[in-house]
Amino acid sequence: MSADPYDVLGVKRDASAEDIRKAYRALARKHHPDLNPGDKKAEERFKAVSAANDLLGDAEKRARFDRGEIDASGAERPPPRYYRDHAAESSSYDSEAGFADMMDEDELLGALFGRGARRRQGGGQFHMKGGDIHARLEIEFLEAVNGATKRVTLPDGAVVDVTVPPGTREGQVLRLRGKGTPGLGSGAPGDLLVEVMVGQHRHFTRRDDDILLDLPVTLTEAVLGARVEVPTPAGAVAMKVPKGSNTGTVLRLRGRGVLRKDGTRGDAFATLRIVLPDAPDAELEAFAESWEAGKAQNPRLGMES
Amino acid sequence: MAEDDDTLRALRIEAATIEQWIAIGWIAPRGPDATGFSESDLARACLIRDLREAMGVNDEGVGVALSLLDQIHGLRRALRQVAGAMHGLPEPMRREVLVILRAMDEGA
Repeated sequence: MSADPYDVLGVKRDASAEDIRKAYRALARKHHPDLNPGDKKAEERFKAVSAANDLLGDAEKRARFDRGEIDASGAERPPPRYYRDHAAESSSYDSEAGFADMMDEDELLGALFGRGARRRQGGGQFHMKGGDIHARLEIEFLEAVNGATKRVTLPDGAVVDVTVPPGTREGQVLRLRGKGTPGLGSGAPGDLLVEVMVGQHRHFTRRDDDILLDLPVTLTEAVLGARVEVPTPAGAVAMKVPKGSNTGTVLRLRGRGVLRKDGTRGDAFATLRIVLPDAPDAELEAFAESWEAGKAQNPRLGMES
Repeated sequence: MAEDDDTLRALRIEAATIEQWIAIGWIAPRGPDATGFSESDLARACLIRDLREAMGVNDEGVGVALSLLDQIHGLRRALRQVAGAMHGLPEPMRREVLVILRAMDEGA
């Protein structure tokens, strides 16, 4: 504190009283602890500035200092009181005007402080949205594809009917608004979030909105071509197997897949699999025996051993 | 009020002046006997004194400064409450909050 007061205020030794007053005001505005509530060092800086001003702002003291009669430590001042030290404890002057909008918009902040509501209504009124409840629902493959209504039992024993929309996917979370725990005050109830687990199907698998299946065909159907019935999630449909089809041939059934939100459907893809008769057939054996091209063909050509 | 008068004199504030500040609404005494000044009221009075005398702020400016300062203190209180709530969280959640805050910081 015994730094040269002229240096502290940044004025020359021959500065006028007005210059000193101006310099002090500028530094006070900058360093006053109440204008820097979070800066602990502001108090030290403001003290130094105030002490320098006490000395140089008073013509008589300044003259004595200039003559060397008193040093820069000057006179003791009463211990200062800063409002910032009290503002931390008491809230009587605090204002929410800096963030009241955030509390209104943000449920979490509003609940955390509950102050906007408390002050406006003068009581302990407290509004908070109710919590979400999480549940799991196992459904069958076709229920997910075609849609279904399922009953879910919640942890508290309550039973809720859940509409599973057509095209529901594995892991999809269905949100039932307002079916969670009740809110506090006028807060809205929470939601029920149901995670869906979809089972497997014996014949069908799903790739996005398409349905895949293996379709067994007889040798005759594959070689000569045929019209066959193909099962799809929405029921059997007739399909033409072209002449000369093979195991692995993929045939598309347009629009026979999973219903999409926009009302269109994915496709079904049938992968043909040629199936020989269950029991040995003498006629077929005789034919194969006499069929030279069948003996010459090597389907494993190019396979590495 | 006699004791208050002595206190005010020590603070270099005129009783008549502080009455004006109360009338304007800068200070709202809520002391024990409904008339006296709390420590908080007196510290606020010192701030008003400093704003006007040390800093040369005019009365319009004092009103603006007080309003902004009251908002800052409201925000500081809110921030302390958020920090307090975070300290009350279990350690893994606290770490998660820190990660989220850091990510926000980097995203900004």
